[in-house]
Amino acid sequence: MTTSQNHAATTVTVADITATLTRIVAAELGVPEASISADSNLRTMEGADSVKVLRTVAKIEREYDIELEDADVFEASTVADIARVVHQALETS
Amino acid sequence: MTSTAPAPADTNQHYDLNPDIFGLFLDPLRKYSSGLYATPETTLAESQVAKLHYVADRLQVSDGARLLDVGCGWGSLVLFMASEYHAQVVGVSPAGRQHDYITGRVAELGLGGRVKILTGHFEDVDIAQVPKGGFDGVSMLGSIVHMPDLDHAMRRARGLLRRGGRFYVSESCFRNAATRAAFDTGPGLEFVRQAIFGWGDMRPLSDLVRAAEDAGFSVVSVDDLTDDYRRTIDDWHANVLARADAIDAIQPGMAATLAHYLEIANAGWGYTTKHYALTCKKAR
Repeated sequence: MTTSQNHAATTVTVADITATLTRIVAAELGVPEASISADSNLRTMEGADSVKVLRTVAKIEREYDIELEDADVFEASTVADIARVVHQALETS
Repeated sequence: MTSTAPAPADTNQHYDLNPDIFGLFLDPLRKYSSGLYATPETTLAESQVAKLHYVADRLQVSDGARLLDVGCGWGSLVLFMASEYHAQVVGVSPAGRQHDYITGRVAELGLGGRVKILTGHFEDVDIAQVPKGGFDGVSMLGSIVHMPDLDHAMRRARGLLRRGGRFYVSESCFRNAATRAAFDTGPGLEFVRQAIFGWGDMRPLSDLVRAAEDAGFSVVSVDDLTDDYRRTIDDWHANVLARADAIDAIQPGMAATLAHYLEIANAGWGYTTKHYALTCKKAR
């Protein structure tokens, strides 16, 4: 399997992914990390739109060197949703 | 150079903006379509010259070839083929300002006699000077997306070619039919339609191939240029941000609109959209 050097798949937890994702989403939306929680909905929260969700997904895919399934890319809405599918992708890759 | 009168056809407003805006973020040739990046160090300007040579290769352009470029923009391909390959080139664009710009460049470059620009829509413009036997090549770089009747456009292109002539189309496509169904009315695309391009129909590659087959073409090749277009747009975006003040001085607010459009376009590559080059031949 291939993973980026920063993230050996066996040691990456959902909490790790959530932290990374929070940093990416905050940068993408231009908001403080503290304003984002696991149940923040990336499709409905202030300043978010489908384009920003795609950019977030693209960044998280690059970060962990994974490719998410289309259904996950287009259906996941909350930070927790995305963290979960990223974790699944790492475990099965 | 001979030309039709540059009457403003009812094109989308974007291409009829002040050409100086495009001079501020495109390459020196003002080619408003994907470049071709050979290396990580390749510049935007180099990528566009490489792309034009690539199109010439796909069309098998030989010295003195007779070409038709549909949706010729600011004339990058028309002027390049006339100067580099001594081609006789007809360009078609609905945008009157593009016509005026190219006319000026033809005079500067001394290409009079080799370049003819027609103002109008390809679907119904009168191409009075079709070479005997037909054109050697027809190109459409990012223009078929603006033509509502795909089948008619392909049939007309084939009808204008000589036997053995080639047809090159590069276009942004939805990744597949399902993605098109899901995203064709999404807010990103609506912004692009309303603020930028007006009418446009991003079809999946399969639609383009089917229409080419139905028109009677043989398909020569399909190339995936998605990564090249991503880099092209990254370069345009950087230029828009760097020269936002100059762009806004020409048209207030335009820099932000352009930047937003380019961000939307680049977010979708690989997820919702692809950019393909389709080369066809009028042959059995």
